[in-house]
Amino acid sequence: MSFEIAIRLTEILLAIAFIQQSIEHLCLPRNDRRLFLLRIVLSIALLVGSGSQWLCLGLFFNGLWILKRFDGPYNGGADRMSMLILSCLCLIYFIPLQFAKYIFAYLALQVIFSYFVAGWVKVINREWRSGQALEDIFSFSAFPASESLRSWANAPRVLLALGSWSVIGFELLFPLVLCSQPALLIGLVFACCFHLINIYILGFNRFVWVWLAAYPSVIWFQTYLASF
Amino acid sequence: MLQSLKLLLPVFIPSWQFFREVGPSPRIEFCLATTKESLGEWQEFDLRAQSKSWLDLLFSIFFNARWNEALYIMNCAERLVINPTEHSSQEIISRMIIEFRRKGLDLSLTPYLQYRLVFVSREGDELRKDVLFVSKIEELHNEL
Repeated sequence: MSFEIAIRLTEILLAIAFIQQSIEHLCLPRNDRRLFLLRIVLSIALLVGSGSQWLCLGLFFNGLWILKRFDGPYNGGADRMSMLILSCLCLIYFIPLQFAKYIFAYLALQVIFSYFVAGWVKVINREWRSGQALEDIFSFSAFPASESLRSWANAPRVLLALGSWSVIGFELLFPLVLCSQPALLIGLVFACCFHLINIYILGFNRFVWVWLAAYPSVIWFQTYLASF
Repeated sequence: MLQSLKLLLPVFIPSWQFFREVGPSPRIEFCLATTKESLGEWQEFDLRAQSKSWLDLLFSIFFNARWNEALYIMNCAERLVINPTEHSSQEIISRMIIEFRRKGLDLSLTPYLQYRLVFVSREGDELRKDVLFVSKIEELHNEL
């Protein structure tokens, strides 16, 4: 994938992610709708694709305004990743061209780290390795998206350990996507399945849209590394 | 400017330590009363669905506003314990009022609201609950 196509694809997917999030906010009876109306307008303009650099800058300041409104991220990691993507797009447009590829490579590495670091902090934790942490998530954490999922805490420990190791294994092995195109394809398919399972269990729907928007950087970076 | 930088720093250098450990988890409990003196009957404030079908999953990929609000107020609850601010408290209260209205409660009949944050954690094989924050009594007259 060429650099230009990867950038354009990132913009399109990020615009879709922002529209999805903003619709959720607009459907809530709150007094901060204008922030999200503005985000929708800017995102639709970004989808159309003219004046991308100013639209990205506008979305960046809109994102900063939203961070201030909620005194931090509204949706944790998803907001952080979307702001990181926006920051990288702005830098790519406003710094000398010869540095743009390094910025996009930084984004790709952050996507790789987002899985690998999450896997690393789990694998060094005994409770994750034994399946206890997964049991705790279902039994008392605030995250199960439905009450019926709490009963999964009573699953046999061997199943919980298997689930834990599946998550840890996937996250730790994700950097292998940079090795070859088939590995990249397999890794991204696994990642999408992982996010879908997260939506079912934890209700993290925004993550899938935002991380999808960051994948073009990984696809481009793998092609870039393969060219050496 | 300094506050903007503080908000942006984790964006540029994110930690990505998702679920490093499963620590004490917040629950929000509230009581509504006709007078300040009659407060005391705590109920859990829970936006969690009872169950989810595969159709719900399909829909929630595109739209999951209610649950994202629930995740946000849990985040506010954690912030309140670490660094109490009026902002976090008001965010929780405003969402409670929205939910009470959605359920058709007449808040003019019970204009006093108090909430508390109960943190659930595991101690050995047992679950324990600790109340780590109790709000001041809110008069909802101003909010109605």
